[in-house]
Amino acid sequence: MTIEPGDTMEPILETRGLTKVFGNGTQALTEVDLTVRPATIHGIVGANGAGKSTLIKIISGAIRPSDGSVIWKGREVDWSSPRDARAAGVRTIYQHIPLVPTLSVLDNVFLDQKGILRGEGDLRVAFRQLLERIDYDIDPEAIVSDLPIGDRQMVAILQALSMGAELVIMDEPTASLSDAERELAFSIARRLRAQGTTFLYISHFLDEILDLTEEVTVLRDGRVTLRAATRDLDAARLVKAIAGNRLLATEHHRTAAEHIGRPLLEVQHMSVPGRIEDVSLTVHEGEVVGLAGLLGSGRSELLHAIFGADGKARGSVRVDGRKVGRSTGAAVDAGVALVPEDRFKQGLLGPWSIWQNTSLPDIKRLAWRGLIPSEKAERARADRVVEALGVVTRTIDTEVRDLSGGNAQKVVFGKWLDGGARVILLDDPTVGVDVGAKSDILELIRGFARAGKAVLIASSDFEELVAVSDRILVLADGGIVAELDAATTTEHEVLGLASGLGAATTDGPSDPSTPSSGTPGDPTATAQGLPA
Amino acid sequence: MKRSMFGLKTAGVFYALGVLVVVLVILSAAAGRPFYLNPTNLANILDQTAWTGIVAVAMTMLLITGNFDLSVGSVAAFAGAMTMLVLDQVGAPGTIGLVFLAGLVFGLINGALVQYVGINAFIVTLGTMTTIRGLVQILTDSRTVIAETTSATLTPLQNSTWQFSNTLVLIIGAIVLGLGVLAYVRRGAGNKGLGGIVAIVTGVLFAAIGLLTSFSWQMTLPVLYLLVITMAAWLFLRFTVFGRRWYAVGGNVEAAKLSGIHTDRYKIAGFCCTAIAASFIGILYGAEIKSVNPGTLSGLELSVLAAAILGGTSLNGGSGNPIKSVIGALILTTLTNGFNILNLGATYQSFVVGLVIIGAAAIYTASRSDSGRRGGRLGRRRTATAAASTAAAATSAAAAPGPEAPAGNGRPGDTP
Repeated sequence: MTIEPGDTMEPILETRGLTKVFGNGTQALTEVDLTVRPATIHGIVGANGAGKSTLIKIISGAIRPSDGSVIWKGREVDWSSPRDARAAGVRTIYQHIPLVPTLSVLDNVFLDQKGILRGEGDLRVAFRQLLERIDYDIDPEAIVSDLPIGDRQMVAILQALSMGAELVIMDEPTASLSDAERELAFSIARRLRAQGTTFLYISHFLDEILDLTEEVTVLRDGRVTLRAATRDLDAARLVKAIAGNRLLATEHHRTAAEHIGRPLLEVQHMSVPGRIEDVSLTVHEGEVVGLAGLLGSGRSELLHAIFGADGKARGSVRVDGRKVGRSTGAAVDAGVALVPEDRFKQGLLGPWSIWQNTSLPDIKRLAWRGLIPSEKAERARADRVVEALGVVTRTIDTEVRDLSGGNAQKVVFGKWLDGGARVILLDDPTVGVDVGAKSDILELIRGFARAGKAVLIASSDFEELVAVSDRILVLADGGIVAELDAATTTEHEVLGLASGLGAATTDGPSDPSTPSSGTPGDPTATAQGLPA
Repeated sequence: MKRSMFGLKTAGVFYALGVLVVVLVILSAAAGRPFYLNPTNLANILDQTAWTGIVAVAMTMLLITGNFDLSVGSVAAFAGAMTMLVLDQVGAPGTIGLVFLAGLVFGLINGALVQYVGINAFIVTLGTMTTIRGLVQILTDSRTVIAETTSATLTPLQNSTWQFSNTLVLIIGAIVLGLGVLAYVRRGAGNKGLGGIVAIVTGVLFAAIGLLTSFSWQMTLPVLYLLVITMAAWLFLRFTVFGRRWYAVGGNVEAAKLSGIHTDRYKIAGFCCTAIAASFIGILYGAEIKSVNPGTLSGLELSVLAAAILGGTSLNGGSGNPIKSVIGALILTTLTNGFNILNLGATYQSFVVGLVIIGAAAIYTASRSDSGRRGGRLGRRRTATAAASTAAAATSAAAAPGPEAPAGNGRPGDTP
């Protein structure tokens, strides 16, 4: 049976006026209307924090909307748990695929099977049928932990199908896939669509969206900004809908270029097997360099490699002309600081107080004869951090795990505020931070630069990067593909280059699809001068 | 969300010991036996705790870094056998040096396998436990070994005595008082100086006991080792830069690493602690028993871990207090001792000890999930002034809540 995607068919899933306000007052979604027709691949696109994850979580039953309704096959539903959504036929495949790594493919595919006895023979027959449906082959006895990531994705899809999923939600499924695996995933999705399965496909990668989907819904700041059939779209329109035509909400924090001094951080031929390939870069005194890259581009890995936190990394790092040893201790001694992406996992000790966290990297300096920490000095330092960064807290004795995301991030910054750090590496410093705190943090970053420090900031929020950086390096697939002057580039251009759409957005000023930018000639010239 | 300093979670092990002692005092009185806490029995309990307690302190330090060591019994047996084998040739100081060196090597091997090869600590030390025990068998040719000169050279290390007297209590009280005053005076802004106040009160109390009483109890040397090692470990963890990092490494290794701490050195140092402590016990064992057979001290690892768990040390790393682990060891000894005093025999002993361990772990886990969280806490809020707690255990009646000093706010460590 083949079903043609048609405009006339009743939608399989609709949301009407979906609104979500979180407990802390964040308005994640505002009256989102979404219409997904059966047997289509429907793309959902948006920048970081646009509300994509919140939307998926509501549809998959993980969280409840504050207002509005979800309509499944014409009936309003109120799923209170992912189990309800699954029972109805909605299946979500997340980036981190939740399979049991120690079990076989067969066991994983039928993990949710009801009943007490497992009829192995029946399962094998069912498994064969599934494989035939998607025209794919995989050994049912293979242990999942031995499989490459692409095969695991397939196992997750098979699992979804075995449950009789009618709507499969895929959240950034290709971020960690190779090109071949990606093609395979696409062909299987198309095949399944032809058999009647509907997909909701969330991605950062605009080329994939244009390639794979029939319809697209674009979210920006929790609102739908575009709803269109993919065939009527081109990259430029998509980029515009994602980033908007507005003036940047965060004003440009750049200072004049004459403040930039001599090279402070020099990275040469940095490689991490499988992640980073031969990256060289320089950051000067008083300069903020943006490292623009999407998920899976290797931006975090690069920062960790520079900081000496990755034992497999090869390459040399110099600070102020002096070579730095390959350990985090050596990096800190040389005046390098890293503010990691996952602040609770990598940046903070949750049960410790604010003052104990902020003093940790520098505790030796705050100690009597470098041996016995002076609580007085530590507290004074924490007081300065709270004051300078505007951390909202009752006392500095508060355990950091009780702080909100933005406040916790400020504490992570605070670890490096007073110390001897001259080179500051920031990994997505504003992720999960509300708008007010975000602006504070960007101002803080410029403050570091004004104080003559060298800042390297990795982010997938390109608006923020353009606003805060002097120079932007675009990272894709573990290599630098373009170097842009932040004063003349636009968020659109950066997004295009990082999503592998280099040609579409940088064809030059004559191309009508080039997003409006003051002087489109300049940045594109820079971009094309480098291997893309 | 501060947990109470005297709450079940933070001070529970002191209450447990107090209750146990009170019960034993009543039962032994009811059975018409001598006062349970007479100086002889007290010295006896402390002496029997010393070996386990010393290794429990080291095990606590290792557990704080997030690792685990099953090989301590075997390392101790190796140390004992080695002592017997080399003592006659190289003399006591040389023997002690060599044995400690061997212990250090075992610690480094355990640590390197865990840290650099990446094998789970449980598996590594399960392996080294068996391997080192095998090494003992090879060295001793599966026979009991002795050294001629043990009694003359080593035994005094184990059997000599010292006097625990009111004068000593007075001196300790004066020191605690002095440190408390200093801590209170030097407290930072926004700091109530509670730790200093508690130290002052404790110091005054001790001084008063020292002045108003007159006693002199004979204790064995290992009790002194235990007191000194426990104090040293606690002071190190609580008051030094390295101690703070020690907890950080166990609490969140990634955050510690990204703060520039050489996390692998701390992790390996943890294994060296347990191996060296175990070697020390091996030497003392040789000194006491004067002969070592291949099965010596097997099972030590279990009683040591039991003591650390009773003391509230988290197996996840990042939290733990050596003083409380010693109290945990005291509970284990007191249970055994109580069974003997009351002539209950050994029949029910293991049964009860097992229940006590599970009960303690249940209380810790429950109070942890009450607050809806996992993970450890920095030692500061659960620490006790060592002198206070050990004296509480030593002197008395300890039915009074453990004098859990909120050392956190005081800064006695600042004293130059």
